[in-house]
Amino acid sequence: MRLGGILAIGTAAVLLVAGAFVIAGGSGAGAQGNKKEAPLDTNGDASARPWKRYAGWPARDESKWNTLAQVASPSAPKAPRKLAGPITGDAAKGAELVADRNRGGSCLACHVMGPAGGANLPGNVGPDLSQIGSAGREDEYLFNYIYDPRVYNPETVMPPWGGHGVFNDQEISDMVAFLKTLKSPAAFKTELDDPEKRPAPVEKRENLDPIENPGMWAVDKAQDLWKQAGAAGKSCQSCHSDAKAEFKTWAASMPRWEPRLNKVLGVEEFVTRHARATTGANWLMETDDNRAMSVYLHFLANGTPIQIDTTSAESKAAIERGKELSNRKLGELNFACTDCHGKSANHWIRGQWLGEPKGQYDHFPTWRTSLLAIWDIRQRFQWCQVNIRADELPPDAKEYGDLELYLAAQNDGQKLSVPGIRH
Amino acid sequence: MAEKPRLKLPKEAKKGEVIEIKTLLPHVMESGQRKDKDGKAIPRKIINKFVCEFNGKPVFTADIEPAVAANPYMQFHARVEESGTFKFTWTDDDGTVTTAEESITVS
Amino acid sequence: MRQLSRRAALALGASGAAATFIGLPDSVSAAAKEAADQIAKFTGGKTAEKSKVSIELPEIAENGNTVPLSVSVDAPMVGDNYVSEILVVADGNPNPGVATFRFSPLSGKAEASTRIRLAATQNIIAVAKTSKGELFTNQKLVKVTIGGCGG
Repeated sequence: MRLGGILAIGTAAVLLVAGAFVIAGGSGAGAQGNKKEAPLDTNGDASARPWKRYAGWPARDESKWNTLAQVASPSAPKAPRKLAGPITGDAAKGAELVADRNRGGSCLACHVMGPAGGANLPGNVGPDLSQIGSAGREDEYLFNYIYDPRVYNPETVMPPWGGHGVFNDQEISDMVAFLKTLKSPAAFKTELDDPEKRPAPVEKRENLDPIENPGMWAVDKAQDLWKQAGAAGKSCQSCHSDAKAEFKTWAASMPRWEPRLNKVLGVEEFVTRHARATTGANWLMETDDNRAMSVYLHFLANGTPIQIDTTSAESKAAIERGKELSNRKLGELNFACTDCHGKSANHWIRGQWLGEPKGQYDHFPTWRTSLLAIWDIRQRFQWCQVNIRADELPPDAKEYGDLELYLAAQNDGQKLSVPGIRH
Repeated sequence: MAEKPRLKLPKEAKKGEVIEIKTLLPHVMESGQRKDKDGKAIPRKIINKFVCEFNGKPVFTADIEPAVAANPYMQFHARVEESGTFKFTWTDDDGTVTTAEESITVS
Repeated sequence: MRQLSRRAALALGASGAAATFIGLPDSVSAAAKEAADQIAKFTGGKTAEKSKVSIELPEIAENGNTVPLSVSVDAPMVGDNYVSEILVVADGNPNPGVATFRFSPLSGKAEASTRIRLAATQNIIAVAKTSKGELFTNQKLVKVTIGGCGG
């Protein structure tokens, strides 16, 4: 096990790390064939079916838009809409609409817009529009830029607000009328309100201190689960008596391609399928027991640099698929993963900092202080999608596997520190 | 509330030393402001009082309102002149009292 | 409250301004009034001097659910001369009360930290009382961040 930690680069280390688990798994009953692969229940699903969205999440049906599993959204229009004449809109209504957080976070999420919304923590993903009213833009241009900006800029990250029906023509006209009133540089009440001066957040909390991070309580819970016999009369302990030594690096080698399932397998799905095949416990993904086990298995590997297999043909293909999926425009708001975490990374979306992919994986599963809950990476994927108004997939969906592998590949070398603590 | 209180304080100290004490009790701290799915207010249920005593003498007390976050955390100090035992007490709106103790050797 | 103390009136004024700036509804100023009431009750209507009290909070809270707060008073903690109580109120919460910390000479330091809930950007006001009846106060504005994606 030690060697796995010392060898920093190359597949040898990965194989060794993976092998450590395999041997450990094989030391109990039921070692399979020569390869001694960890037993997995390859039947059925690893999460609830039919998958039901969390009760506290928006219940909107987004089935007519792209998801990671389907392409359904209408394609971009080729040309701007022609307007009959100058826009007649209500600037006061427009001022309210640009700050309306019920329809996609409001324009202020990405733009500084003069006094709109009290200039309270606007974002800076898009340009400062505080003087757009003096920029000499035609009404038709402004209208179309809100309606569907892809007619002017196919690479834009801005949603097609009209094209996807979030705002109707009259509402967009009202917003245009408001934009035309914006003629003075933005004035901010405090420096913190200016996204160009707002300091990027730095995570300094001691995430492994149980008095700081309630996510750590899952480590205690998992140690109890470890000794608890499942339906087959065995516990984790029956085969893995020295968890600390056996799993000192294992989680850092996950996710990985699993030929028996023909998809990428992450720690959480592994827990479900391996327990089913051995102890008989049925720890479905995104249940408390599964989360606790995932936290614990990651925790045991804390400090180990993430080092997944990126060289086998199957892994390479999965990473390539994950990369493609990360570029797919999803949902009513038409965002790709890379729109926020690539093109717009290191900017403010309203009061929230958009991070790059690097650093977005090493702390999962993580405690969320806003929700008082542990989230694993698959739940984080799901939430991102629901938030941009796309339907989420069940956590064991193969598309999430590809995406997770691609994300892990971008976090190569980052040291695990689980459970994290984030907003 | 199966989760136990969490305490963090030194096991040993010098006479007259001022030590730092951190405590946390796992508790939802239901504020009374939230509504359930049917729009009905969820009744308030919080830890409303925290007391720390040392050898029976008061060290620190907090009267707590619903604005204190879930898993109420208290960090404070104590001057220790003798070996003894800290006793921590949390009182719930429903009358439940949770206690924990930790001793310290003072030289 | 029948008669506003000067300090309470000050607190009210300051938070009233904050409420106007961030465009929050009228209920905020109701909360600010109640905060002022609680302070007046704590001080017995006397004026607290704006000194000796430190309030530590993040400038921008990443969410309003778990905001770390630390209050301390730079004053002796010995014998019959010590900080006996610190009242903490948040003037933009539905209920402004946060906590009252009570100390004794055994506390060693007049300092307490906890984690609090904040409904929105608002002022945190701390008022300290000593065993000799002195009153000190301070306040700090904390911005509660706004999420990007909306509802």
